[in-house]
Amino acid sequence: MSELSHSPRHDAVSRRLFLGRSSLGIGTGLGSAVLASLLGSESATAATTAATTAPRARRVIYLCQSGAPSQLDLFDHKPGLVRRFGEPLPESIRRGQRLTTMTSGQKRFPVAPSIFRFRRHGESGTEISELLPFTAAMADELCVVKSMHTEAINHDPAITLLQTGSQQAGRPSLGAWLSYGLGSENENLPTFVALTSWSLKGGQPLYERLWGSGFLPTRHQGVRFRAVGDPVLFLSNPPGIASEQRRELLEDVARLNRIKLEIFGDPEIETRMAQYELAFRMQRSVPELVDFSDEPRHVLDLYGPEVSRRGSYAANCLLARRLSERGVRFIQLFHRGWDQHANLPGDIRQLCRATDQPSAGLLSDLKQRGLLDDTLVIWAGEFGRTVYSQGELTSTNYGRDHHPRCFSVWMAGGGIRRGMTYGATDDFSYNVAEGGVHVHDLNATLLKCLGIDHRRLTFQYQGRHHRLTDVHGRVVEPLLA
Amino acid sequence: MGPRTGKEPVVWSLAVVLAGFSCAIAVAQEPATRVDFDREIRPVLADNCFGCHGPDAAARKAKLRLDRREGVLGQVKSGRPGDSPLLERVSSSDPKHRMPPPESGRRLSVEEVLRIRTWIAQGGRWTRHWSLRPIARPGVPEAVGVAVSRGAIDRFVQARLAEHGLEPSGPSDRARLLRRVTLDLTGLPPEPRQVDTAIADTGADWYERCVDRLLASPRFGEHHARHWLDLARYADTDGYQDDEPRVMWRWRDWVIDVVNRNMSFDRFTIEQLAGDLLPDAGPEQVLATGFNRNNRTNGEGGSIAEEFRVEYIIDRLDTLSTTWMGLTVACARCHDHKYDPLSQRDFYRLFAYFNNIEEKGTYRRNSPPLLKIPTPAVADELAELAVSIEGLAKGNPRRKVFEATRQALLKSVPSTMVLREGPRRDTFILVRGQYDRHGEKVTAGVPESLPPVSAQWPVNRLGLARWLVDSKHPLTARVAVNRIWQQLFGRGLVATPEDFGVQGSRPSHPALLDFLASEFRDGGWDVKRLLRLIVTSHTYRQASVVRPGDLLRDPDNTWLARASRLRLSAETIRDQALAVSGLLVEQLGGPSVKPYQPAGLWKEIAGGASGAYRNGYQADRGPGLFRRSLYTFWRRTIPPPMMATFDAPSREACSVGRGRTNTPLQALALMNDTLFVESARQLAVRVSGETTIEGRVERAFARVLVRRPRPLELKLLMHSFLRSRARFRANPELGRQLMSVGASPSGGVGAGGAAVAAVAEMAALVTTCHVILNLDEAVTRE
Repeated sequence: MSELSHSPRHDAVSRRLFLGRSSLGIGTGLGSAVLASLLGSESATAATTAATTAPRARRVIYLCQSGAPSQLDLFDHKPGLVRRFGEPLPESIRRGQRLTTMTSGQKRFPVAPSIFRFRRHGESGTEISELLPFTAAMADELCVVKSMHTEAINHDPAITLLQTGSQQAGRPSLGAWLSYGLGSENENLPTFVALTSWSLKGGQPLYERLWGSGFLPTRHQGVRFRAVGDPVLFLSNPPGIASEQRRELLEDVARLNRIKLEIFGDPEIETRMAQYELAFRMQRSVPELVDFSDEPRHVLDLYGPEVSRRGSYAANCLLARRLSERGVRFIQLFHRGWDQHANLPGDIRQLCRATDQPSAGLLSDLKQRGLLDDTLVIWAGEFGRTVYSQGELTSTNYGRDHHPRCFSVWMAGGGIRRGMTYGATDDFSYNVAEGGVHVHDLNATLLKCLGIDHRRLTFQYQGRHHRLTDVHGRVVEPLLA
Repeated sequence: MGPRTGKEPVVWSLAVVLAGFSCAIAVAQEPATRVDFDREIRPVLADNCFGCHGPDAAARKAKLRLDRREGVLGQVKSGRPGDSPLLERVSSSDPKHRMPPPESGRRLSVEEVLRIRTWIAQGGRWTRHWSLRPIARPGVPEAVGVAVSRGAIDRFVQARLAEHGLEPSGPSDRARLLRRVTLDLTGLPPEPRQVDTAIADTGADWYERCVDRLLASPRFGEHHARHWLDLARYADTDGYQDDEPRVMWRWRDWVIDVVNRNMSFDRFTIEQLAGDLLPDAGPEQVLATGFNRNNRTNGEGGSIAEEFRVEYIIDRLDTLSTTWMGLTVACARCHDHKYDPLSQRDFYRLFAYFNNIEEKGTYRRNSPPLLKIPTPAVADELAELAVSIEGLAKGNPRRKVFEATRQALLKSVPSTMVLREGPRRDTFILVRGQYDRHGEKVTAGVPESLPPVSAQWPVNRLGLARWLVDSKHPLTARVAVNRIWQQLFGRGLVATPEDFGVQGSRPSHPALLDFLASEFRDGGWDVKRLLRLIVTSHTYRQASVVRPGDLLRDPDNTWLARASRLRLSAETIRDQALAVSGLLVEQLGGPSVKPYQPAGLWKEIAGGASGAYRNGYQADRGPGLFRRSLYTFWRRTIPPPMMATFDAPSREACSVGRGRTNTPLQALALMNDTLFVESARQLAVRVSGETTIEGRVERAFARVLVRRPRPLELKLLMHSFLRSRARFRANPELGRQLMSVGASPSGGVGAGGAAVAAVAEMAALVTTCHVILNLDEAVTRE
């Protein structure tokens, strides 16, 4: 079994050798093979041999809920807490574990039961809160994991861990690993696209590192599709240059570069020529991609009323489907505003209203197109929230602090078991009671769905074979279909 | 480390092995080449055995250490492979007996086993890992054949070329070489006047004089400093969460200043790591310690101070070891290093040097200790004012004015973060690297595998800094010269500049590396002298044309039979456009500036909690748009987009050696970023004094590429111009729009009243200039 591992140098060598050959003999036309290699699919062969199992998913849509949604109010139903309203969190549960300095000085830790009703849904009987009626209607597609846990207790390190496998900056993000490992499935778009949506509640900042390439070559970094201005940075021609003239000017650049290539023989020149061609194709394909006018009403309606507002979560969910249809490998969607330290009931209602229908709509849209079979969809925040109230607790209001010891996520689609709830927490949704799934385990499982052994997808940097899962992670087999 | 193509599932049988052995015996009877332990055996052991028999005490099995001399030699009977347990275990056909065990998934290849056998047969001599041996000055090889040699560097390189059956290229043509060396040393293209002078210069030392001029230019300090800023993770923001602004540009200006003054590298090291502890420390020395305040700092609500105080120290250790030693100490945070002789204890002994720094664990923006220090220009002004004030009687109205000016100036002096020792803290090994799990108590000290600290040095950061630049230290000089080599050749003599350990690459030219390292160390750590030595070699001055066969024989140009064509760095690409168009505002130092950036980029993803960015990104007006790129305001979580597109690191952590990717997003930036369109526009205006169109096109071409276009190139450019002009004649409004891109004035050509013909002519020339700026050659140093 070949190990999928390269040193940076090897990466460059194989690319250069490939291009060197093509410039010497295979032909002067820029074949799709050259383009494919430029897009990174030179590593695809290696990935295929590294695959321990046939991939069940070909692409991923990751709906990252930044700020950390409350598991207690959405998925982790604790009916017993109602009787304990306002009681102090028992020491037998807290066990002296660390708290953030936002609440570690609090004199009391009063238990705040969720004020929202839960019901079982679908044939699977998955428990979901009344805040998520549309998601609940898709219950039989979901695999809800209630026993997630992480180490980080603050947003920045936690979301960095979730997306890059390390709390510290500098590692490649999930999508960059997949771009490196699996390459591209299309010739006109990037392999990895990041989308950020507007939120009513502002929210935690995001960082380029969350879709960055870390120590991998930068061509593996996510390309952010923006909701204002050009969808891709510098996509539009400057004022005064129309598309047709752009094409002519690029022809001129190519002709001059061709002379250079003939004299200097450096394959990088040919690569650059191909990149200009690809850039021009992106100028044409991206505007068409972000234009929803070809979507019928009934499809738009799946995503809810906000879908026509560019940059909304709903619009980005639809865009995610359009990207996945066109062979984009990894689509990372960030929605912010879940950091509800105070006024949680009011704020979470708003957040759910904005996200519930689009998330569910995306699932049903993928499903009716047959795309859900090989598209893995993940809904996850960076940690959970405390059972005790941060600040004042009343019968209708409370807040919750950061809580890394347990939280809930769901997955659906390619390779994942449908209609399942996995793991459990204690009576206070404070500690994992059974089936703990660490962030590294989630990532190992995700890679497995794509046919990749997380221990074999490595890149040598600073003398180490680095992995997304560092030296950790185990595939959670029961989650797999 | 070479490419790891992975281990094929080898079908092993005793017969294969025996056949292999008899083969080896046959080979051994020939005058066999010596198997070098360090080069050929240790990497095999490291890869396959160190996991359980290496530096990591916790993972060690059977108390066997194959990373140490005694451990290896205990398994080897010199000259008797058949009696050596090492060979027996790795070649055993019994899976229960064989090493590595089958469940590890690892297995030595036949070739590796044979190599171990040959090594034992030849005596089984152990040698230290190359980078940990003392640096000795090697003898310079004899000149090879008739190749052009300008000194020791060329003799070392040409000796290696001869070994590989390769020949050096001839010299590069003068103009191309001038562009190369000017871009490499100053990050800017040569001025046409300088090109003309150089071409007309009949002196034999024309080139050396050019080099001296470039090294003396203040532009040199700006460019050379930029490499250091990547290592120093310099930025204008704190780097976590809201990523708020901080003021560290005074430190950045210090770097530019001392690089221009050619401060010796040992002094440069000591002042940055421990300037505050020097007995004669002045404000400049304290300012230098800002190096270790460039790390990211977290002010997120709810953060636990000690957790992040510890992270900052670990970041400093990572930066220190990567920058000066090319070692990856961060591995030893949680456990003993798996490959290199660095224990977890070593790690926390180094940690202890930084553990007394006075610092809060959680903070945003700037936080004490702070130093308020005027820039040299402001300091001069203040001194002059002081003299003027003294000369005037109290109550004199002029004196009052001077005093007010002085007060205002003093108020404008920035405070910047520096180091200061606080009360001593006890240091503990942190179990699994966790800040709140204290293990054994340790004291400050250096790794056991490196030379000891002199008893004469203080046991603090100053002692540590002196140790790093001591002549006995095997790593510092090697790592430093390798990095400079990489800046000039695109690839280090050690291809992994960040890792000189067992898993790193071995030097392609070990003797040359040691020659340069000893030159550098023994010659007073003189950076400009080292640069001059390298760029005046024939190896540097060679032509960069890829000759037939070059690519197949040496695709990476490891053996340096030609000069490499290298894509320019992000900063240089932008600065070049500014320079050739005349837009560049040359001003040394000062607060960071905000050039163009696509609207909304910050607001879209930044948080709402911080008031610092309430209005999002506000681009400067005027000069701030056109300063050199190293002065661009660097927000770590959202770096300047054009810089990030061209492989600049985020500056969140120490990084050495940038990638040189080639992507469609780069093409989009060069095609459409306002700055490049505006540069083309100003370049067109700049050359429009020429009477003919051809003349203008040629001038623009020469400004960017530092050569005249070939006839075919000129023909194509003229064709491009004419086609473009026809379009703008047909639609003058488009021409006007193009002429109004960017903030700089367009000289009236784009104005509504200008004649259609004039607008079309100028707009077409703009597109031609833009074509030139988009050529591969324009973004490549040849």
